[in-house]
Amino acid sequence: MNLLFPQFSISTQGLKNCRHYFCQTQFDTPSENQKLWSIHSKEPPASMTIETLVLGAGQEVGKSCVVVTINGKRIMFDCGMHMGRIDATRYPEFNRISDSGDFNSAISCVIITHFHLDHVGALPYFTEVCGYSGPIYMTYPTKALSPLMLEDNRKVMVDRRGEEEQFTTDHIAECMKKVIAIDLKQTVQVDEDLQIRAYYAGHVIGAAMFHAKVGDAEMVYTGDYNMTPDRHLGAAQIDRLRLDLLITESTYATTIRDSKYAREREFLKAVHKCVSGGGKVLIPTFALGRAQELCILLDDYWERMNLKVPIYFSSGLTIQANMYYKMLLSWTSQKVKDTYSKHNAFDFKNVHNFERSMIDAPGPCVLFATPGMISGGFSLEVFKHWAPSENNLVTLPGYCVPGTVGHKLMSGKPSKIDLDPDTQIDIRCQVHQLAFSPHTDSKGIMDLVKFLSPKHVILVHGEKPKMISLKEKIHSELGIQCYHPANNETVCVPSTHYESVETSDTFIRNCSNPNFKFQKCSPVGTCNSTPTDRNLMPELQVKDDRVAEGVLVVDKSKKAKIVHQGELLLTLRDKNRV
Amino acid sequence: MDSGKHQSMDSQSKEPFSLRTLSVMRSLIINPSTPKPTVTSILQTLTGSLQSAHAASHQAHHILKLLFNIAASHPSLSQLVLDSLRSNLPKPSTSLAIEGTIESLDALASISDQGPVSLDDSLFVSLCFGPSVKSRIWMLKNAGLRFQVRPALLLGVCLGFTKDPYPYVRDASLQGILCLGELGVFEDGSLVKACYQRAVQLLNDMEDCVRLSAVRVVASWGLMLAASNADMKTYWSNEVFAKICSMARDMSMKVRTEAFNGLGKMEIVSEDFLLQSLSKRVLAFGKKKEALYQSTSEQFVKLATSVAGALVHGLEDEFFEVRKSACQSLHTLTILSLEFAHEALNFLMDMLNDDSVAVRLQALETLHFMAINGCLKLQEKHLHMFLGVLVDNNREVRYAGRKIHKVVKLNDRSLFKSSIDGLLENLVHHPQDENDVFSGFSHLGRKHKKYVGLIIKGIFEEVEAAFEGNFEFNSAKIAALLTLSISAPLLNGHIGSIPPVMFSYAVTFLGRIYCAFSDIKDRNALLVYLCEKSKSTGYSGGDAANLTCNEVIDTEIESQITKEPKEVANCKEVKQQSGYDEVTNFTNYILAKLPDMWPMIESGFTNKVLKSLRCWKEELVTMMTSNSLGSGDALPFTLQFLRIFKLLAEIWQHLLPTRFCSEIMGKWELRLGKLDKRVKELLSSFVGFSAEEEINILELILLTFALKLCKVEICSGNLTFKRLKTTYLQVESLLKESSALPSNFIVELGKLLHENSTSITDASSCSSLPFDKCLKLFSIKKFMFHGTIKHLKAELSVPNNDLEHPFPYVSGLPVGIPCDITVHNVSSRNRLWLRMSTDDGFMHHVFLDLDLFEGSGGVKKISFAAPFYRTTKANSVKLKVCIGVESLFENVCPVQIRGGPKHELVLLCSEKEVYLSKINKE
Repeated sequence: MNLLFPQFSISTQGLKNCRHYFCQTQFDTPSENQKLWSIHSKEPPASMTIETLVLGAGQEVGKSCVVVTINGKRIMFDCGMHMGRIDATRYPEFNRISDSGDFNSAISCVIITHFHLDHVGALPYFTEVCGYSGPIYMTYPTKALSPLMLEDNRKVMVDRRGEEEQFTTDHIAECMKKVIAIDLKQTVQVDEDLQIRAYYAGHVIGAAMFHAKVGDAEMVYTGDYNMTPDRHLGAAQIDRLRLDLLITESTYATTIRDSKYAREREFLKAVHKCVSGGGKVLIPTFALGRAQELCILLDDYWERMNLKVPIYFSSGLTIQANMYYKMLLSWTSQKVKDTYSKHNAFDFKNVHNFERSMIDAPGPCVLFATPGMISGGFSLEVFKHWAPSENNLVTLPGYCVPGTVGHKLMSGKPSKIDLDPDTQIDIRCQVHQLAFSPHTDSKGIMDLVKFLSPKHVILVHGEKPKMISLKEKIHSELGIQCYHPANNETVCVPSTHYESVETSDTFIRNCSNPNFKFQKCSPVGTCNSTPTDRNLMPELQVKDDRVAEGVLVVDKSKKAKIVHQGELLLTLRDKNRV
Repeated sequence: MDSGKHQSMDSQSKEPFSLRTLSVMRSLIINPSTPKPTVTSILQTLTGSLQSAHAASHQAHHILKLLFNIAASHPSLSQLVLDSLRSNLPKPSTSLAIEGTIESLDALASISDQGPVSLDDSLFVSLCFGPSVKSRIWMLKNAGLRFQVRPALLLGVCLGFTKDPYPYVRDASLQGILCLGELGVFEDGSLVKACYQRAVQLLNDMEDCVRLSAVRVVASWGLMLAASNADMKTYWSNEVFAKICSMARDMSMKVRTEAFNGLGKMEIVSEDFLLQSLSKRVLAFGKKKEALYQSTSEQFVKLATSVAGALVHGLEDEFFEVRKSACQSLHTLTILSLEFAHEALNFLMDMLNDDSVAVRLQALETLHFMAINGCLKLQEKHLHMFLGVLVDNNREVRYAGRKIHKVVKLNDRSLFKSSIDGLLENLVHHPQDENDVFSGFSHLGRKHKKYVGLIIKGIFEEVEAAFEGNFEFNSAKIAALLTLSISAPLLNGHIGSIPPVMFSYAVTFLGRIYCAFSDIKDRNALLVYLCEKSKSTGYSGGDAANLTCNEVIDTEIESQITKEPKEVANCKEVKQQSGYDEVTNFTNYILAKLPDMWPMIESGFTNKVLKSLRCWKEELVTMMTSNSLGSGDALPFTLQFLRIFKLLAEIWQHLLPTRFCSEIMGKWELRLGKLDKRVKELLSSFVGFSAEEEINILELILLTFALKLCKVEICSGNLTFKRLKTTYLQVESLLKESSALPSNFIVELGKLLHENSTSITDASSCSSLPFDKCLKLFSIKKFMFHGTIKHLKAELSVPNNDLEHPFPYVSGLPVGIPCDITVHNVSSRNRLWLRMSTDDGFMHHVFLDLDLFEGSGGVKKISFAAPFYRTTKANSVKLKVCIGVESLFENVCPVQIRGGPKHELVLLCSEKEVYLSKINKE
């Protein structure tokens, strides 16, 4: 049973003036439903559906791209590339959107949720090569960081791997010019009918969930999100909305994660033990996200425990990334925002720049170095120097690509690692593994779906068997229809449409005056309740029948009008006279 | 002029007032020097026009405002205003009139100070059901609080309006229901259930504010529902628990915070539900119990998903408010199940790693509570976090951490050892914590005699080495270890394996470590104890296996046998008042902290200091009222000292160069007067100070005089200077007697007085003395409250007398005033007086001979009739009676009134009014 008067939050004064009252399909009892059924008994017209075409991330992770048609408006959510592929399938099949290749008329706008390449990677290709020139929306941090990611990736692909160039640096720059940056909770009127709004999603800095509304139909596309906060980013946050459709990621559709406090504690303990024993700690990380997360954790701990051991950042990129974080403070967690006036959390008090010459300097220290999997670069160089001492510690992320030093360290406890035929490293240092995932777990997905209670759910960005299991769970526990389309499949769900009709004065007057009754009735669904519950007396319930007292009449000119039930006879007599 | 004004106003009363007239009225009303008749006539005029003004709303608004002003600025007229408002309530027929009525009611309720205003049923209903939504919300919000409406009616209306389409109306009606729930118990079970169910439905409301109120109602009415049905109490409690848990993932921070506040109110919850709230994965219902609790099992299966991980989510929330609230909820929940407490401990330990101090403190408080309740079972894996607290950068966090160490019982020798290491590390990193760390060691030793016995060998060797070798080296650590060692046999006579020589060593540290025992022994008693133990022969030579009482000691029977009778009495007192420890800790904490604040005052951060002083004061006052059985004299002492400190802080800010200005001189003088009084009170109404402490208090008096002399006008300077000199001489003699060193302030003051002893002949010359120089050297000394300080106080009651039942008298003849007097801690050295005074300044003193008092020990009682001679010809007399003690320290200007005390009186109780009335011969 949903709420009775969702539309009533507009003032009574407004109601009187406009003389219109929106009627809702949901009512308390079937009999009330029947009174108003006439208007909805017709087949919904074609425009009253939401059509979802999954171009990417359908039953897989990678190249997120979903095209949603709401009441005739077409929105593309995300435009990612598949990082694991190098053939044509790395990009979504854009030609399915429009055979003619005229994307500008086919699509109202493109929305990018965050700067990861599997969400933004194909954007320059779509705009510069395929020729889309309509509006593109993303949040400010995403707009700032996406070109960095795209350029970095282009370099790796073209310069290092020698692949064929799909788009150039200029393409990226041109593409970014078309982007309209928006803020959180800012409602943007894309065109006359289409409204979009971004909500905080956690995950990475600038990540957002998008709410889109056309007419009365509303839907949310989550992108990637995180329902538990970490040290530097907050948890996803959204209003309670009246949604027809929710498209959510499902990376961890079956995992339930324990509190990460225990992992943080172990990490801190290991690091503290190492530095108090005079050892050096190597933390290989990527520049964005994990580095800041761990650094805040350590910096806080240092502050609290009054530790004086230096913490170093090796690469320029990490320092540059910290700059971005410092500027994008409003996109971080509450704690960072709260303390901002006193101290910018990304102005790490105990952090210094690292010089190559300091690798062999004596004394304990903590060093953040890129890349994260010790696949080469500076982290490997430092690793070579530090690994042979048992005083030292290396902390690895939760996942490393096979073939990297990180992967070798994680699988078993090797005493030696052969880098190449000439180089062999003795491993005597300790290894600590610390996994932080910025994706929500299955409980988080369930919590979000439960909170939003949409009419339909579509799962994307996950593995098929896990998606099926989550789909079952959503259906059985929450009673919500759920889908998990594969790539290039389309799902159609009906959308809400409110009909505006004229109302009589008596009805309006009646509606603006409270009119509730109490009634005793036996509890609903008695058979489901426990035996002890069954022999209770009838429950007291409150009813407010103001709107239910309205009757919908349709006159000869097919114009619908709501009158108060007391007026019905009078109205009919009038009609007869005419 | 006034009368002319009245007339003009009367003539206008039929027509609406112009804004000018209204403003003239207002200025007349708020001007305190306006004659009362004028105000009264304005009131009449306004009342007269109020009825007609209700038709035109804007007029009514102004008139109501003015009426309110009258009531506010002329309290004597407020009753008249009330009557006029009550008789002129408009009929709420139109929406305009409804708003007028609301305004009148608002004014009515704000003026009336005798509790809620009663409200007519029909008026209430018509206001609620009127078309004005604003008024509806106002009425629902205020009905329960400021107006008296029949609860049944109010509940019905509120319940009905939970279905209102306007979210704020729903919110207000839920708040109304909540208020009603707090006010009284509803007998009708189905009604309670209906309210609860309705609130449960509203947990899914679209609006944050409605959900917030719904959570509150679910928590409070859910508990009512559970309580109303003894058979199903568990069932309903579980149900409520699950419903509130399901809100732990709401998107609104306030709703989440409220949900955890609600969880903190739960009285019983099944263990499975509790454990489920700590696990995000859905658990299987406890297998063993399944057959036993069939119904709970079914319920669990149904609700487990909404409960799952709720508390964990709360603890890892983004907002510290929520995390704090979740920690707080664990406070009560951990009592409900031991297994849950153990599980929750793992999570609480992680909260000690939180970045917010507030959360860390709350987590520590919860841990402390668990330790008191015996459900804190520390394990090896907790130690890193738990001991980390002791080296935390935040002082309060460290203090809270040590507070737990003082009460926790450790079950493992290695845990005990780690705790000691942790405390020692605290001492190294933060030497300023020394006193409290020692106190921690002392408690730790008392609680774990067995473990002290096990590690005493190592300690002994270390102490021995330190004493033989370089004595000063790491003396804090040695003092700490000694404290630990000597405290072990404190509650139990046998010294066990502790070498007696340790006690002799400890004597050398007496001055440093005695504070650690201040909760049970004062310095002298500790010395006696140490001397006695050092001669002990029961030393078992370090063989731990021979220990007879190898248990964690807290059996008081055993310890009482071996104690001196005085100690036993002491000990009983300690045990009787469970809050005693806490009070002493708190007061000592405050007293220790005050000297540290002095530099802040000197550098001008007075407001910050005053803020914390105010907080402490409030806390002390609440402690005093709650601890009515007199938890020692620590509270009044601390409070008095706090007051003095506060006055000093306030006075000092005028000494700062930028703040001094002459116009607030009057206030300054007033404060100096107060300070003078307070310090004297401190000296006279407390006894048992050591010489050192007495000097410190006298120093405060000297300071007061110096302050007076350096800033206040000359007229009273001469006398003040004389007093200053006398007091200084007193200090000097005290200093000679004791071995204490004078403070810089006293030294400087002494120099000043000596240098100028010849040149000072009159006041004008002394005021030019450079007292400022001394003032700069002043700093507040540290006071520790210890057992010997006693608070002199008296209770005075005059039975069967009040305004309506005065004592009769015949004018010219003396009248006896029966007094029941109880005095505390008064010794025969004190001279007690009963003071009777009348309003015209007459005072009469009656000496109270202590020998006539009955009772022994600290409390003495007497009932007697005090004679009062000055019965006048007036029809009635009001006497003020009180008890005072002569302050013996100052004898400069005799205040003696014939037959009265020779010195100033310091009052020991508040003045009591006694009413006398003349007997009429008719």
